[in-house]
Amino acid sequence: MNETLKMGLILCLITVLSGFSLGMVYEVTKEPIAQQKIKTHQEAMKAVLPEVETFELIESDDFSAQYGIKEIQIGYKGTQIIGYVMQVITKGYGGEIEMMVGINQEGIIQGVKIVQHAETAGLGANAKEPSFLNQYVNKSAEQSLWVTKSTPTNDQEVEAITGATITTEAVTSGINNALTLFKEKLK
Amino acid sequence: MNIVRERLKNGIIKENPTFVQVLGMCPTLAVTTSAKNGLGMGLATTAVLICSNMVISLVRKLIPSKIRIPSFIVIIATFVTIIEFLLEGYAPSLYDSLGLFIPLIVVNCIILGRAEAYASKHSVIASLFDGLGTGLGFTLSLTMIGIIRELLGTGKFFSRPLLPASFEPAIIMIMAPGAFFTLGILMALLNQYRLQKGKN
Repeated sequence: MNETLKMGLILCLITVLSGFSLGMVYEVTKEPIAQQKIKTHQEAMKAVLPEVETFELIESDDFSAQYGIKEIQIGYKGTQIIGYVMQVITKGYGGEIEMMVGINQEGIIQGVKIVQHAETAGLGANAKEPSFLNQYVNKSAEQSLWVTKSTPTNDQEVEAITGATITTEAVTSGINNALTLFKEKLK
Repeated sequence: MNIVRERLKNGIIKENPTFVQVLGMCPTLAVTTSAKNGLGMGLATTAVLICSNMVISLVRKLIPSKIRIPSFIVIIATFVTIIEFLLEGYAPSLYDSLGLFIPLIVVNCIILGRAEAYASKHSVIASLFDGLGTGLGFTLSLTMIGIIRELLGTGKFFSRPLLPASFEPAIIMIMAPGAFFTLGILMALLNQYRLQKGKN
């Protein structure tokens, strides 16, 4: 048999076999992966807006993108609206930072959680720590926030993480976007 | 049993992929910011190494030498993707911290190196243990670098605070230069030890 043809056939066989096994594994893991994603999503939303029982996605909003917001969910307790959870994308030091911001009806931040990030471990990655994120809790949508490198002296200041000012700026600007959107569109 | 011990020792000490062969430097430098990441990356690589070594050894007589490299890469990439799916579905927290680096395993030259240098010439069982030995050698090296960098850079050991609060972490150790410092110093110490041993 022609050597080139033989090699082509062997390569073809190998790729078909790997494609087949990949397909099998994909089918098996599809469900757990989807479940896992929903679970983390739900947990993150509950964590930033406690007391909420059900969430409803705001469909077809054409304004989210201009604020860098991926999606907005309304949080209900029974039939009463408690607040909103916004999924914010912001540009950090190592790439995009994705976070959840929970804001109640009065425009007070209830919680912030970082869902996904690629910041430097030990520096920017510390932004995930509650000790940092809790700084944003109870801030009001009335005023925007900014970063300071020393101890905050007023309500609008957020203390930067040591060695990770860019990450802090990114998180803060993402939260400011969420606050602006709330003030202009949801209030 | 001889081959098992010989292969394990070869992979972990004699031909340690990181410190002796100096292969797979990209993941070594990039992921070792913490002990946990180093360990996870090492174990994921070990799993791929064992699987790919075995399969490559199985099909070694069927693959013409002219197309062995593309064939090996397809086989390795398949296993990497399978492991990625499994981690994402069943070990989400590990997937979160390693997610970025898993695709890097495909181009990790240790795996292709073992396929080419060992698995394509030896039996399945020998290749399995060669994969295990090399994988463990890689895991140990990465974990060691990770422990040192995490301890000096953040004062923590496997994410738990270990050093007293008065210790000022040297942030540079968990940034890129710290990886080079640690790797260089460890390599120098090991070489020194080996030279000393050779003399006596």
